[in-house]
Amino acid sequence: MLAFLTRRTIGAAVTLLIIAAVTFFLFFAVPADPARLACGKVCPPELLEQARRNLGLDAPVWQQFVAWLAGLVAGRDYEGLGHCPAPCLGYSFVNREPVLETILDRLPLTLSLTFGAAVLFLLFGVGTGVVAALRRGRPLDKIASVASLIGASVQIYFVGTLAMYFLVYQWQILDQPRYVPLTEDPIGWAYGLLLPWVVLSLIFTANYTRITRSTMVEQLTEDYVRTAVAKGLPRRTVVGRFALRGTLIPVVTIFGVDLGHLIGGAIITETTFGLQGIGRLAVRAVTDSDLPMLMATVLLAATAIVVFSIIVDVLYAVIDPRVRLS
Amino acid sequence: MSTATWTTESPVRRGPGPFLAVRDLAVQFTTEEGVVHAVDGLSFDLEKGTTLGIVGESGSGKSVTSLSILGLHDPATTTVTGEIWLEDRELVSADRATMERLRGDRVAMVFQDPLSALSPYHTVGRQIAETYRRHKGGSRREARERAIEMLRRVGIPQPHLRVDDYPHHFSGGMRQRAMIAMALVCDPDLLIADEPTTALDVTVQAQILDLLKDLQQQTGMAIILITHDLGVVANTAHEVLVMYAGRAVERGTVREVLREPRHPYTWGLLASMPSLRSPLDVPLRPVRGTPPSLLAPPPGCPFHPRCDFVDLAGRELCTRERPALVPEHGHADACHLAPEDKRRLTDARDDRKERA
Amino acid sequence: MTGRRRSFTAVAAIGVLAFAVACAPGNAGGGGSTPASSAPAPASDTETFTPPKVTIGTAEDSKGPAPAPEGVVRGGTVTMLDRDDFAHLDPGQIYLNTESNMALLYARGLTGYKRVGPNEYKLVGDLATDPGTPSDGGRTWTFTLKDGVKWQDGSPITSEDVKWTMERLFAPHITYGPAYIQQWLTGEEDYKKAYGGPYGGKRLDSIETPDEKTVVFRFKEPHADANFALAMTGYAIVPKAKDTKEKYDKEPFSSGPYVITSHTPDKSMELERNPHWDPATDPIRGGYPDKWRFEFGQERLQITDRFIADAGGDKTALSFYAWVAPERLQQVLKDENLKSRMLRQPSPYGNYYYFNLDRVKDIKHRQAINIAWPTRQLQQLEGGPAANVISTTILNPVVAGWQDYDVFGMKAKPEGDIERAKQLMAESSDPNPTIVYAYNQTPIEERKTVVIKNQLAKIGINVVPKPLARKTYYDQISKVDNGFDLYWGGWGQDWPSGSTVLPVIFGPVRDGGYNLSHLRDPEIDAEMKRILELADANEANAAWAALDKRIMETITPIVPDLNDIGTMLYGSRIGGAEIDPQLWNVSPNLIYVKPQ
Repeated sequence: MLAFLTRRTIGAAVTLLIIAAVTFFLFFAVPADPARLACGKVCPPELLEQARRNLGLDAPVWQQFVAWLAGLVAGRDYEGLGHCPAPCLGYSFVNREPVLETILDRLPLTLSLTFGAAVLFLLFGVGTGVVAALRRGRPLDKIASVASLIGASVQIYFVGTLAMYFLVYQWQILDQPRYVPLTEDPIGWAYGLLLPWVVLSLIFTANYTRITRSTMVEQLTEDYVRTAVAKGLPRRTVVGRFALRGTLIPVVTIFGVDLGHLIGGAIITETTFGLQGIGRLAVRAVTDSDLPMLMATVLLAATAIVVFSIIVDVLYAVIDPRVRLS
Repeated sequence: MSTATWTTESPVRRGPGPFLAVRDLAVQFTTEEGVVHAVDGLSFDLEKGTTLGIVGESGSGKSVTSLSILGLHDPATTTVTGEIWLEDRELVSADRATMERLRGDRVAMVFQDPLSALSPYHTVGRQIAETYRRHKGGSRREARERAIEMLRRVGIPQPHLRVDDYPHHFSGGMRQRAMIAMALVCDPDLLIADEPTTALDVTVQAQILDLLKDLQQQTGMAIILITHDLGVVANTAHEVLVMYAGRAVERGTVREVLREPRHPYTWGLLASMPSLRSPLDVPLRPVRGTPPSLLAPPPGCPFHPRCDFVDLAGRELCTRERPALVPEHGHADACHLAPEDKRRLTDARDDRKERA
Repeated sequence: MTGRRRSFTAVAAIGVLAFAVACAPGNAGGGGSTPASSAPAPASDTETFTPPKVTIGTAEDSKGPAPAPEGVVRGGTVTMLDRDDFAHLDPGQIYLNTESNMALLYARGLTGYKRVGPNEYKLVGDLATDPGTPSDGGRTWTFTLKDGVKWQDGSPITSEDVKWTMERLFAPHITYGPAYIQQWLTGEEDYKKAYGGPYGGKRLDSIETPDEKTVVFRFKEPHADANFALAMTGYAIVPKAKDTKEKYDKEPFSSGPYVITSHTPDKSMELERNPHWDPATDPIRGGYPDKWRFEFGQERLQITDRFIADAGGDKTALSFYAWVAPERLQQVLKDENLKSRMLRQPSPYGNYYYFNLDRVKDIKHRQAINIAWPTRQLQQLEGGPAANVISTTILNPVVAGWQDYDVFGMKAKPEGDIERAKQLMAESSDPNPTIVYAYNQTPIEERKTVVIKNQLAKIGINVVPKPLARKTYYDQISKVDNGFDLYWGGWGQDWPSGSTVLPVIFGPVRDGGYNLSHLRDPEIDAEMKRILELADANEANAAWAALDKRIMETITPIVPDLNDIGTMLYGSRIGGAEIDPQLWNVSPNLIYVKPQ
């Protein structure tokens, strides 16, 4: 296991380095000049040059990348803004705020959004899928299928805005969704994120229901499930101990990917509900050509996906003893 | 569901009688193409301490029969009619709770491919122990001890170490032994073995079959042994039932059926078996034709399209009227040929065989 | 699932979705403009917008307190909702109208605009006792600071602070603000070459501080509207003792009614009363609420919905610049209940389709295009008369001395006069020219392009559309050799004088510059120079207006585009809300919270 983890970690580091480099260089491939975009209403050439110098854009691209990398590992000094300790992600081109702090400020919301939605869609998605598989062909299965279809076709912006309009503004059943730190007020935390959790999980639930249902249906035809029945084990045990185990493998696979994406930022959900998470940071970074922020959000998303893929691999080995971590 | 119709047999005695009595079993599957009649009116008896071999090619309905005993068919797509009496209890109409209590406890099953039939996610010991705990209760420790004991009984070396291994750590033969151990952990009265040796090497086959015989002697359980291999039947069974297209076409003791087969299909089966003694250049003689579709079984004898003796028996008869399995007890066959013809043809076969 | 079951499922799903859509009130589902299919109704047939009146005030006008709105009450907390935070709080880095507006809460300059009545403003002394005294033909300007003006820590605002403020704008880290004063003091366009800022110890001779209260500016050339320039937020005063350079952009020191007490970037900001701000010294700001709370991150649609619902805490909420979302505009305009909480104001910007005079050389082509221009159709695409007004002049009505004229009949015949245009084309050098039209590639612009192309085809002009990516749009059209004939651009005046519009958009031609039509006419240049040197502001304003018309009539370098109308809602317990006609934001100056 240790050898496996070491190997995968090194692989992950290499992957992330490549992603960082590609992102960095792609940024400069786009014709938009970040200094120009960050420059004021009137931007004579001299001021533009000064802006470029202030943002460190006057050095050659590879040199900027090395400086960024070095800052990440060892910290970096910025003129006028002081020393930025490792891991230094720089200062936003747009508002000169330290990127690391901004990311850390937004991360709790994104993590909360992810965690809450994940609990919901796992519970409902897998639960509904199992029930649909067990009641295959019967009304409950059909209802579940229709509901999945609707859920999968739903647009968060549409449903979310609709939900806000009715539930929050017109009927005033719920309050405006907001982020309250968990440590401060757990009830407020859950209440404030309830609507975004439900809407966000709608789409994923559909996916999990479908995957769980089809895998479970397959699993129920497995020979060893038949054996378990032949041994006289109660239905509950047969499904829970045998059929479910095999169903977990594809579920775990897509869960790892979904988690990685959600941590990268649920952009549409955040925008619809006015929440400030990593997603909006990422979008703003792209539209405002904010290189330091862009690098940070890309790296965060990539790291999340890479880490979760390692975890998923480990989980495979835990779920299925035939899988060897090699 | 019980249907009180059987045609030629006299009513079965309930109460003390055969250990297992199957009466007019019919199993139908609803598929997209239509209704498949997998088993079409099957009846047989089984006594304790004996082994019944059910023989037939793929699609003959032998596995379907065995699954019906334990009620392992999917109720959504399967219709089972007829009666299956386990001593004084009828199984086709039994409810789920009753069946769950029975399975693994009084009636156990061993499947064909132990690699797929054992859960890859749990240790062998766990899988054996859980059957024991389910039916007999007991602590984890006791169940584990029992599992080790069973592994020893089926001849697995170092059982106290192997008990914590996963099925994929075992060789094919050992796996099958483990499955047998799992089936026998609660001392069942009836063991159904569905092609237990098909997936194994020949040498290992023999070991498994011997093991089954030993265990039967020790415990007095009845065994239904399902196979397509007449050699296996010859070796291990007391009685044999030949199935074709979901029906029994011949039934009797092993000696009766193999020495004096009376049904053209049985002749075909026997003739198609390659012999170690026959010269290499003699071509194999399979039964000509292919098994029938079970979607809409035609009237008459199901074997008649492949039978060489249709004209002899009477074409009208063979294509119109379904032959009954007669006589009711003893060596029986379902064929319209006159008994003299059957005897004559059997002898002719023997001559041919001796000359070959 | 079998075929039949699958289709049943699909039909059921569609049914449920359709039901949900039908229940959604006018939810057009995506940001952007109103769909053209819904017929927009004008706000009212008689809606007109009067341009604001801006004059220069006196010392008396410069005295505080600010004229209070009727029924004003001190106290309460105001909530301000907008999507974006303010990237710059250092006045020297502020040029954006949104940041300028917000800075009114904490930053005061030498001069500023005082609201004296509805739509009427006067340029008065803010920290200064009056709007400045010019001398030496306008080359020298003298200001005297008021008594009792203090920083948030109680220290007095001195002339040294004023001098320091101007000097620090030359430092390398200041790149965003206006450049006028710096250029006028040094006489150089590249003013940073002439002087590097005060941090190294070197000071500017051209600003004198004979005593603690007096500041004298010595410009190289006469500048009649220096006092207007100094009213820009970019020239709001920064304390020398508390100048933290780059950090000042995050934590400015207040001279205004409020102090920033907390700021979580992109999430929230809070301001509380500055105990050392004396309303008697401030003719511009009321400082009525006790507290301001800013909430960022909300999209326009959500903010609009909140204002419509006016629930709970939103009664005391307003927004500086989140206009009513296009999806809700019709609903809002029709709703009688919202009238008392609604504001409407056209934008102060100039929007033009520039001709590239280097390529479109025949004036008859340019004039024919103006005559045939599909103004009405474009107006409909953008939401109809409810959402924009037709503009026919180069200068925006907000500019002092603005004169309306309609040389090409855009208001008379907004659907375009095809016949008259065709006649003009027949007289031109080429009756079937090709025009390369570059535009910003967005869905609404695509639709506009189709309308323009079809209309101009009717007078024999072949329009070749060239879509450009949004991010690089300005870079591409601002190249001198851009390869295009017609393209859109905008410019907003920095203060209400033609001097901040015409000399800029018809100024030096260079890559990245603002003279997008490449107009190089020595007579026009001479006239502009003459007007800039006029000492009398009224005379100058009249001259700018006349020049505006003359350029349109004799050169026709542009086609005027429509002018957006901003519609704004606010909470029912907010009083004193008005849209500042120059900044085009809801002004915080006279806001107060009505009691329960």
